[in-house]
Amino acid sequence: MIMDSERPSQITDNRLRFDSFQGSDEPLFPSKKQRLPAMGWNSWNAFGSGNNEELTKAMIVKIKELGLDDFGYKYVVLDDGCYRPERVNGHLESDPVKFPSGFKAMADTVHAAGLKFGMYNDIGTKLCSGAEVGIYKHEKIDCEDYINWEIDFIKVDNCYYMWDNATFADPENAIYSYAPNIRSITIAGSTYSAVNDADITGTRASVKDDYVTFIGTFDGTAPDHSPAGLRSSELVFEVQIDEPGYYELVVSYATGKEEGVGRWLQIAVNSDVVFDDMLPETESPESFTDSAPIKLKLVSRFNRIRIMNHRRQENTLNSYTEIRKELENFGKDRDIVFSICEWGKTQPQNWGHLVGDSWRILNDITFQVGADGNNGTAAWESDYTTSITSQYNKAVIMDEFAGLNKGWNDPDMLVIGMDGITETMCKSHMTMWCMMNSPLMLGMDLRRVNKGDWMYNLITNEDLIALDQDLLGIQAKRIFTTIKCEDPSNEYIRDNNRVDVLAKPLDNGDVALAFFNLKNEEHSARISVSVDQIIGFISNNMSKSVVENFKNASSYQLKDLFTKDCKESSDKTFSVDSISACDCVVYRISPVA
Amino acid sequence: MTREQFIKRLLEVFGEDNEDVFSKGFENGWLEFEDKLYRDDEINRKNIARIIHLYLLKEKGISDLKDISKAAELRDLYDCRVCANHVAQVYLRDIMSAKELSVNGGFLWFDLNGEDDSAAIEDYLIGAYGITMNAQ
Repeated sequence: MIMDSERPSQITDNRLRFDSFQGSDEPLFPSKKQRLPAMGWNSWNAFGSGNNEELTKAMIVKIKELGLDDFGYKYVVLDDGCYRPERVNGHLESDPVKFPSGFKAMADTVHAAGLKFGMYNDIGTKLCSGAEVGIYKHEKIDCEDYINWEIDFIKVDNCYYMWDNATFADPENAIYSYAPNIRSITIAGSTYSAVNDADITGTRASVKDDYVTFIGTFDGTAPDHSPAGLRSSELVFEVQIDEPGYYELVVSYATGKEEGVGRWLQIAVNSDVVFDDMLPETESPESFTDSAPIKLKLVSRFNRIRIMNHRRQENTLNSYTEIRKELENFGKDRDIVFSICEWGKTQPQNWGHLVGDSWRILNDITFQVGADGNNGTAAWESDYTTSITSQYNKAVIMDEFAGLNKGWNDPDMLVIGMDGITETMCKSHMTMWCMMNSPLMLGMDLRRVNKGDWMYNLITNEDLIALDQDLLGIQAKRIFTTIKCEDPSNEYIRDNNRVDVLAKPLDNGDVALAFFNLKNEEHSARISVSVDQIIGFISNNMSKSVVENFKNASSYQLKDLFTKDCKESSDKTFSVDSISACDCVVYRISPVA
Repeated sequence: MTREQFIKRLLEVFGEDNEDVFSKGFENGWLEFEDKLYRDDEINRKNIARIIHLYLLKEKGISDLKDISKAAELRDLYDCRVCANHVAQVYLRDIMSAKELSVNGGFLWFDLNGEDDSAAIEDYLIGAYGITMNAQ
């Protein structure tokens, strides 16, 4: 028997339900700001678990010396590895070796420098480092402490989560995140086969023999699946009855505890959830049994009975909401950026806007983080999430999920300055992140950066930062790619043997246009896109008059955002003749009346 | 073997004084406070990997291998984002080996939370020592 303390909370607020995710731009918290992507420095990529008070203070000094805050880099965020690994009288404390002066003192130092202070925790029982100070069941006390420490930013991770079997969680937690295998339902004396009489929505579930399995949601942590389209599956029966009224439903099911088959079942009649609970365990995932009768009220003759389990998403949203709620409760007047870091596991692009300011879209961009005296290592491409292009390839088709009234896709922190990547790759990396309205969190040891060197020039390129921080807040759309595809704006492409063209409307009526060569060799053929092509993809995010101005301009001023060269052209097409390996060309295009 | 016993044995193998081990480790950044706090707990494989890797890096100047992609053959490599590089470095240097499971056609995994007996741990330490000898 599973105790109440060992199961996810009941969901009493329908705004936390799957059906409320889509089409809802209303955040759960009215105070959620229409923020631009956060900019700052985070300790993880630079120092990993080895960050400490001395190093953080050195970073603050460098931020001020380099004037990075004047360019927008305001947040100084302590990532994992900063806590004492166990609570003291129920409270979080700083690691006594690394942060002997405590978090409030660190916050005071950050604030005294005119910067903003960020911290880190996890929705589960432990942090990713294994420290047993996860926020689960400590939401009130921890958020009160965070408010007392005067945080301005919190990144909340998703290791050791109790209600999910996906990456870094107990595989047997599949009991919560997947429905049982379903063979049939019986209602009003009629039996409906799951295989023959029901529709499967989405692409997650599938038929096996005489039953349907994998009723749930994809694990989006790895780069295997597209973020576009419906990422979860339901089994939907169209049931016709003679008279509206109360009926009993019996489900033929078999439970398991592995990816694809669990024990948690949700049943909805149309949009009303009428059952949301664990079913008794069966002998195996193929030993079918009948559920106890479940009473339903059917209000019309034609009914859609939905067999589903959206708890993977709903539980995670619920856990993040608890934290946000307590931060609001204790710190109504504090302006805190809420950075969701569940690595795309539960498709946060569907629900992140309800509670957060940004949401990570994949597992980490590198696992070879640096240390004091070690730059760490990053990659341009990899089979997993650990590269610039892995993150870009997913984020670039996620523009519809982002916006000022939603929040931002987060393809992880910048890896500029790490070993394993060239200056050219870093240039494209920074440009990609700025075109995609990603949070810009620096991840290098800033003591290595000096005014006028290539890293400084790149991270302080005001023209690029202006794209990221543009007040219109529209993520660029991919409008062309050299790889054959039906819709460049929506197709998940992982083959890097290509050039992409992205367009981004800007607040003053300009358009940013970027050409990215993802290949490890020069692209020497001309690539052109027309004004009509650009407008065709991005006009729904521009006012009518801006579209007309751009379309009908007599000429265009093109500013190369790296060379700063400006040229005027009356051509209605914009071209590049060649692009070096892993390089990019980016223009700000202003229509001339 | 407990964490403290492991750390002391590590220093013995490298011919160093093993008194006041925690202060030394904290000062040079190759031990975490949790190692002292949980000094009497049995040490698991991911913590062995972490301590050996950081000891080699910080105390012995053994630079990281840059390309760790081959370690991705360990099914559980990315299950721990803070351990992945530690595990990869000791695995690719043949200091610690993978375990093989025959489930679903068979695969390699590191068994992050598993524990090893003293003889196996001794082999790891000797392997680590050998790396420093070869680097000279």
